[in-house]
This record gives sequence, C-alpha cells and structure tokens, in this order.
Amino acid sequence: MFLSLKEIKKEKFRYGLIIGMIVLICYLIFILTSLAMGLAQENTDAIESWNAKSVVLDKDSNISLTQSLISKNEVKNTKLTSKEAYIGQASVVAKDAGKTKESAQFIGLDTNQFIAKKLKLTSGHNIKNDKQIVVDEKFQNDGYKLGSKIKFNSNDTKYTIVGFVKNAKLNVAPVVYGSLTTWKDLKNVKGDFVASAIVSKSSNYKAKNSQLKTYSTTTFINKLPGYSAQNSTFTFMIAFLMVISLIVIAVFLYILTIQKIQNYAVLRAQGIPAKTLVSATISQSVTLVISGLIIGIALTAVTAMALPAAVPMSFNVPILSAVSIGLVFTGLLGSLIPIKIILKVDPVSVIGG
Amino acid sequence: MTTLKLNNINKYYGEGSSRVHVLKNVNFTAKKGELNLVLGPSGSGKSTFLTIAGGLQTPSTGDVELEGKAVKSMSNKQRDAMRLNNIGFILQAYNLIPYLTVKEQFQLVNKVKKNNNLDESTFNKLLEKLGISDLINKYPGELSGGQNQRVAIARALYTQPDIVLADEPTAALDSERVAEVGKIFQTLAREQDTAVIVVTHDLRLIEFADNIYQIMDGQMTLNNEMKTA
Ligand SMILES: Nc1ncnc2c1ncn2[C@@H]1O[C@H](COP(=O)(O)OP(=O)(O)O)[C@@H](O)[C@H]1O
Ligand SMILES: [Mg+2]
Repeated sequence: MFLSLKEIKKEKFRYGLIIGMIVLICYLIFILTSLAMGLAQENTDAIESWNAKSVVLDKDSNISLTQSLISKNEVKNTKLTSKEAYIGQASVVAKDAGKTKESAQFIGLDTNQFIAKKLKLTSGHNIKNDKQIVVDEKFQNDGYKLGSKIKFNSNDTKYTIVGFVKNAKLNVAPVVYGSLTTWKDLKNVKGDFVASAIVSKSSNYKAKNSQLKTYSTTTFINKLPGYSAQNSTFTFMIAFLMVISLIVIAVFLYILTIQKIQNYAVLRAQGIPAKTLVSATISQSVTLVISGLIIGIALTAVTAMALPAAVPMSFNVPILSAVSIGLVFTGLLGSLIPIKIILKVDPVSVIGG
Repeated sequence: MTTLKLNNINKYYGEGSSRVHVLKNVNFTAKKGELNLVLGPSGSGKSTFLTIAGGLQTPSTGDVELEGKAVKSMSNKQRDAMRLNNIGFILQAYNLIPYLTVKEQFQLVNKVKKNNNLDESTFNKLLEKLGISDLINKYPGELSGGQNQRVAIARALYTQPDIVLADEPTAALDSERVAEVGKIFQTLAREQDTAVIVVTHDLRLIEFADNIYQIMDGQMTLNNEMKTA
C-alpha cells in the first residue's frame, strides 16, 4: 500500500487519467445495463405486480395473450379460486382532446378477483363500474388527471380515469385497467367469450378443458412480442462491452506495471522482497479500479436522477454488483499478468555500465 | 574475518562470435574492517565485478562466497534477504525511487527490514555529514546528481550492512564531497567493522583505501604500491 499510494500521490495526473478512464467505462456499462434492464422491466412490470405463477391461454394462441380467447364453453367446468383472475387484453390508442395520444394495453378485470383487488393505487380509487378505468402513471406524466375522460380507438364511449397505478406496463406500453365488459367492446367479441387468459398465483393451476393450456409466467414473459429478441440483443451487447472494457482496463494496468520495472529492479537490487512489489502492484490496481467504480456509480446515480421519467432505467443491484466485482477482478488480472516479469526482473539490466 | 570471496570468476556476455570475456579469472577477498578500492577505466568490468560480488548476477564460471556461504547454493529468497540485511548497494545509476521523497526512501526500508537499522541520532548525523539533511522532503527529481548520489549512500548505510558495495559513488561529486564520502567509508570500515568495496576510476579516493586493486580488461591485480605513490 505504501508504494502504491505514494506513487499515485506523486503521479496525480497520470493516475487521474487512468481513474478517469475507468470511471467512464464503469459509467458506460452501468448506464447501458440499467437502460436495458429498464426496458426489459417495462415489458413485464404489470405481470410481475400481479405476483402470478402461471397463465392459462388458448393452446393454439402460440402463447400470445393477444391471440388468446377463452370462451364460456371452455370454462364451464373450471372453477376460479381466490388465486385466479380473468384478464382480457386489447391493444388500444387512448386519447383525450388536447392531450397526447397514448398507445396502451387495455386489461379488462373482474373487480371481484385478485388482480383488481390488489391493484396498488398511487392516487384515486378502484374501478366501480364499466365506465371507469385505472391507468398507469405514464398518463399522469403526460398530463392526464383523475377525472380526465378518455376515448379508445375510434369509439365514442368515454371512460373516466379514477385512479393511477405505478409500474403498470406491459410490452413497454402503459396499462389501462378496466372491466371485462369494456374489454369485450374494445376487442369486438361476442358475449360467449369471457377473457383472453386466466392468471393464477398457483404454479400448478389447470383449467379443465383440452383447448386451454397452463404456462409458467416465465414462459409467458419470454413469449411476449419482441421480449426475448430484445433481451438477447442487450445481453450480447453488454457482454461484448464488458469483455472489451475489461480487456482495455487490463491492458492499461499491464502497461502501468511495465513502466514500473526499472524502479522494481532497483528495489530488487536492494533486497526488497518480490512479495512487497507484487502486493504494491496489486493493491494499486485494486485502488484504481475501486476509485473508478465508486465515482462511476456516483455518476450513474446522478444521471439516473437527472434523466426524465420517460427514460426507463432500472438499477438491478445484484447485476450491477456482479459487474463491479467483474471489473475489480479484471483489474487484478491485468496487474497479475506482468507478475512474472516482476518476479524475474533483473536488477543488472537497469544498472548500466 | 573474510566476508566476501570471489574464486576464479569468469564472466562472458553474449554468445558465439559476439561473445565478450568481461571478467578473466578474478580472485578477490574482502575482510571486515577494510576499505577496498577497485580502480579501472570505463568498460574494464567494474560494474560487472560488483554486481557478481553482490549476487545480483551469476558468474559464467567460478564461485562467490558471502559470509562463508556459496551464493550459488542460496535460494532466491535467501539472496533477497542477504541483500536486504547484509549488503549495502550503491549502484552506478538509478538508486532512488522517483515517486518517494528522500524520507520515504528510508520509510520503505523500515517497512521491510524492521530491526537493526540506524538509530535516529546516528542517522541524522550521517545525513548531516553527507550534507543532505535539508533535502529530506524532496523527490529525487528535485535533487542534483551529486545529491542523489549522497542520498543513495545514506540509503545503503541505513541498514547497517556488513558489506558495502559502491559503484562509482563519487562520480558526480566535487573534491570536498569526495573527501567527505571517502572519510565516511573509511570510518565505516574501521569503526563499524564493515567490509567496504568501492569500484571507481576516481583516484581521489586512494588516500582512504586499505587495499587497492586495479582492473584492466577484466583482469584484476592487487596494487597497494599506489597508496604511497
Ligand atoms: N549486459 C551486457 N551485455 C553485453 N555486454 C555487456 C553487458 N554489460 C556490460 N557489458 C560489457 O562488459 C564490459 C564491462 O562492462 P562494465 O562492467 O559495466 O564496465 P565498467 O563498469 O567498468 O564501466 C563493457 O565492455 C560492456 O560493454
Ligand atoms: Mg560501471
């Protein structure tokens, strides 16, 4: 520690640049990871807020909520307990004169079932009739208020916003919760259909009809339109970014160590044990990476606060910690590569004739 | 008592047609309490001799004995320990770590060698004698060549070594400083019972020496007549 800190103190500019570079790399990785996670989360927020374990869909729907329809006939032998709820999905464009149009996911609910009962409202109250809706906060951010009247698509029926919910997003679109009756109107289906799907909090719920199939929430989420493709794109992007950044950091630390060889040769000549030099090198690399990390994290936090709410960002602490540990680990690796050179440094080579 | 012994040392650099024979059958003994001066012109093999004597490099043939122990038979760790505890090296160039102040160069030694370093008052007297007391908070880059050299001398003596090996320690010093350094080495040999070996082409050191060797094209001869000459 003595040697490494003294050197940083003396060579402030050089080490400042290196820390600066590590800060930028950490910042880049953190921001991109958080943005990717934020986007991924906007696909699944609503589903996750229901705490559901399984979803029952029409088996020919290709595990797509949009394609699934459940008829009265199919559920005539099926009982829904307090752990199950019908949902009716319809893609809508919501508008109110003078306000921005919102592409939204309409989810029709039965007010007596668990999803409707458990909605976490940030303001307002739950739906009490077919003309009332509860919407995601995105509407609030875009200027809609409690009491605002909304029309869907080209229909003339007006619905009143009676409550707002946080984190109600499905497939990156804000969710509008309403009644199943409204759903039937929006979806234009006749009275013999009951919903798009049954959502259950139990993982082994089975509907008693061969046309209906139970899928785990995970399977269901992975089949959300674009979700898997988006996620694998991001995963690869971030993985490549990580690997390349890590190599860059390792190379920098390697160069740094190589530049110390002459000093190390002198110290070796004086009998300073190789162990001391190795630990100086390692502690310095770790100090640099950790300083960079801390500043990078601080910068990320500031950015997160400054970014508008519309930019989805999610800070997944376990993943960001793993990234951080990865960075420290590479720092170590980068400084360990030249250890052999340190151990083999020949004092005579620098002494000169 | 014999502290350092070189038996039939030969050293070659390079291979094949570019091979040079730098040390030729060198025999050398240094005793505690004596200041040995090895005089020779540039390129005669002085630095090679000194680094082999201190176990920094191995001879092509022949053996080096330090305190009665063959350097060849020591492990790397033992050689490190020997250099740290028993030998004071003053190298021809690059003795100081550029990012440590003069004071910190000594603090570093304290960290790896905890005992038997100079006590504070003796240390301060040494700095005084070398005229570097005021430079204690400066970095090597802020010192002149001569000042650097004197700090290097203090650094080598700080560990109270049994053997001091100095490579052209007076190269950058004026005559007055040369006399100071000569006296320091002489006192070191006589009063601390240290074996001091100085290789140099600086004839001004002759008057302080107990033994004078000459090295010419890698051949070493004892030449104590030079003292009276
Ligand atoms: N590592 C080396 N490789 C090849 N030749 C060397 C090496 N080190 C020294 N020499 C040669 O050995 C000779 C003696 O060098 P050195 O011991 O440094 O002499 P001095 O210190 O007396 O000036 C010189 O001719 C020098 O060029
Ligand atoms: Mg030399």
